[in-house]
Amino acid sequence: MNVRKTFLAQAAAAAIAASAALFGGVFALAEQVDMNVVDQPGYVPTPEENQLSGAYERQEVFFRTSEAPGTILIDTNNRFLYLVQPNNRALRYGIGVGRDGFQWQGVEKISRKQEWPDWRPPPEMIERQPYLPRFMAGGPGNPLGPRAMYLGKTIYRIHGTNQPQTIGHAVSSGCFRLVDDDIVDLYDRVPVGTKVIIKQAVQL
Amino acid sequence: MAIAIRTGAFALVGACAALLAGCASEPPPPPAVAAPAISPDALVGKWGFAAYHRDTDRARTIKEALGQCNKPYVIAKGANGGVMMNLADQADLSELVLKPGPDGKTYLGPPGDAGTADDRIVTNVDPNSFTTTYVDPDNAARYGTSVYERCGQKKA
Repeated sequence: MNVRKTFLAQAAAAAIAASAALFGGVFALAEQVDMNVVDQPGYVPTPEENQLSGAYERQEVFFRTSEAPGTILIDTNNRFLYLVQPNNRALRYGIGVGRDGFQWQGVEKISRKQEWPDWRPPPEMIERQPYLPRFMAGGPGNPLGPRAMYLGKTIYRIHGTNQPQTIGHAVSSGCFRLVDDDIVDLYDRVPVGTKVIIKQAVQL
Repeated sequence: MAIAIRTGAFALVGACAALLAGCASEPPPPPAVAAPAISPDALVGKWGFAAYHRDTDRARTIKEALGQCNKPYVIAKGANGGVMMNLADQADLSELVLKPGPDGKTYLGPPGDAGTADDRIVTNVDPNSFTTTYVDPDNAARYGTSVYERCGQKKA
């Protein structure tokens, strides 16, 4: 059952990736395709699954902005998170974003950082998957991954994921998810108080 | 040739002796099916439901379960004497029964043998709480240990 689910999710991701290659534009496609993936609490992805490739792999890119180094910009349409660096550069991370109806824009600050965050599935998830515990203590396999950064007073976070195949897709309830290595990397680079700008599209 | 016939005769005698010995004793009685030590009524009610993977998280998970009664896990009695609960990853309810295992553990799952992959092991049962872990290793790894705390219980 679980293997089948994982396989289906991976097959869906592979099909999407193949389609993107065929039609020449993962970014354009990402705007149109949402993944219908249920959470897999407790699932621990393999290192190979956690290894992103291509555009969503963590990389330094040219990035012209008036925002100060250290600022985070989230481009929800293109599924990228940028951490602004000096000299027109930025570190770019592939992310998963809110599915249709759960996307938002705004300016927030990181109000809290948490290692191995606990997970509380939102009510609509409990309705869909009533067998889920209403609270799962943090640890490997937790859907929030190894780190979380809370955005202002909102219910939204930048966090890890145990479903690396969802990076590049609109799947969440409004949070932004990174693979575990990336969230640990970002977590170590940014302090509480970091400015976070969430936009549908970031102008370079 | 003579040696071969004699060896065969000894073997035949031995086999008959074993057969007779087997016939002489009563067949072992079928294992007694003991009633489960836990009544299904003990599981019926509204529960705060939480889970953990590391034993060090048990105490705070129990506390968190108590705080989840605004979205309780409701267990009703089934038509056939069992309890209505979800199997792993199943959104629809099934009637599950408590089954005593040959290992002395109490299992909760579909009617049938105890200890099958769809079952979970029930422990730490008292009027206000119980704990379960899945038998299936994959489910056990994903969901860890589940604790159920009765909603509305008086705090100690």
